[in-house]
Amino acid sequence: MLGFIKSKNIILKGIVAITFIYFFGLMLKITLDYIPVSSNVGFLMIKQTEVNSRPEYLSVFYVHVYSSIFALMAGFIAVFFDKKLKYLHRFSGRIYVFVTLLFSSLSGIYIGVFANGGSIGKISFVILGILWFYTTYKSYKEIRKRNIRQHKFWMWRSYALALSAITLRMWKVILVYLFHPNPMDVYQIIAWLGWVPNLLLVEYLIKNQK
Amino acid sequence: MKTLNLIFASLILSVAVISCKKEEKSNEQVKTDSLTSKKEVEQEFHKEWYGIYTGDFNSKPKPTEYGNEIEEYKKISVKINRITKDSVYGYSVVNGNQRSFRGILNENTLGLILDEPGNDKSDGRFQLKLKQDSLIGDWIAFNKASVKSPEKTLKLTRKEFAYNPNFMLSKDQSEDSDYENPVDWNGGKVKKNSFVNDEGKTETYENTFYRSASDNVFKINASKQKLTEKDLKNLRKLDLQIIRNTVFARHGYSFKKETYRQFFENTDWYVPVSNNVDADLTPLEKENVALLARLEKYAEDHYDTFGR
Repeated sequence: MLGFIKSKNIILKGIVAITFIYFFGLMLKITLDYIPVSSNVGFLMIKQTEVNSRPEYLSVFYVHVYSSIFALMAGFIAVFFDKKLKYLHRFSGRIYVFVTLLFSSLSGIYIGVFANGGSIGKISFVILGILWFYTTYKSYKEIRKRNIRQHKFWMWRSYALALSAITLRMWKVILVYLFHPNPMDVYQIIAWLGWVPNLLLVEYLIKNQK
Repeated sequence: MKTLNLIFASLILSVAVISCKKEEKSNEQVKTDSLTSKKEVEQEFHKEWYGIYTGDFNSKPKPTEYGNEIEEYKKISVKINRITKDSVYGYSVVNGNQRSFRGILNENTLGLILDEPGNDKSDGRFQLKLKQDSLIGDWIAFNKASVKSPEKTLKLTRKEFAYNPNFMLSKDQSEDSDYENPVDWNGGKVKKNSFVNDEGKTETYENTFYRSASDNVFKINASKQKLTEKDLKNLRKLDLQIIRNTVFARHGYSFKKETYRQFFENTDWYVPVSNNVDADLTPLEKENVALLARLEKYAEDHYDTFGR
């Protein structure tokens, strides 16, 4: 019986890993569109107002694009190997905390201020950025105090927010496929749909663990 | 943690299937219609005769006791949109009743024989002659019993093409049209759907979806106002395409794509006179056209894909 549960667990982990790798590949492909640096490629094609009127916008945007792909990968490794391979967990965890706190979340808050979708979009992305910074910082503080349980819960929250990069784009594909909305209408919806359900799901799981 | 994995994986997997499908979809290319065209275009002749001819459309004088009498006085506009090797295309409008026609041109006599579709009781045949800038001749109803004046005379003079930045598409108010807004009838996409019938068998059927434009194409004028990203971000590709190509239509650009022809040929102001109007665009129009083309490209590449 124990063996059955164990093998089931391995299969489940395998599915999660494969799914993550698939979506990470999509995210990597999006990131690679921004190499070499250009002021008018991909998402920037509809951001020329900001690019031209704010000299710092382009740099901050690229900090976000280039750093976040590392945060996404490092965070997954750290959450995935939370019990085994302690060395790998610590190594990837440090990268995740370092990159998220210093680069990804702060740049995210800045570009959130100029987000598409009017104030509905802006408010969502700024809150997302602040929460991402806060949860990551809390998790780091907890592990410095050797408080593993709280560290784990805060890191779940943090990484659920990081995964909004993927879930937001998934929702977009679904909503456009089903309803063919106007581009900024769908943007306002996914701005919130990208991270709020993630956070609710994680809170539910944390409640179940307690 | 186990439940997290399970829920997350099943959610992600179900979506993976959808997003895969979307990616397989062939990417039709966005192209500036004024610069390139994919399709082989039928050669056109005598563009100098394209345009609108307006004038009298009266019943034939009938001899009476008091001399010849004309029973009906009306005005008609005849618009010639296209002359190809073997056909002439256009339409006529009398009192708001717009009827398309197709016919032939005799190049030696400069005579035109133009037939209306024939599915309306007041349809008939025009026999006209081109004489410098005038179009003169008559019209005879196919079914002489069905109209009050089955024979009429036409005396029309040509209305010249002139650029005006105020020209816009307008809502189709005619009764026989079910759609007020422009619809891209040439770019339908077939979607397959399936359902389970009463006997429990799965049947599939096909639906063709056509893109239709929003009211923005009647409001946003790229020849008059400086457009910003903010004005255009929320528009879908067809709206952007129409707003951009309305600029070219105002300059008399003769569209190679059927889609655009169909939109503008139904207006009374559009006179296709040139194959290349790029040099005629005002600086404002050039800026707006570049912005619109950029947003069209973005809409094309990113609207329904995994990304922003």
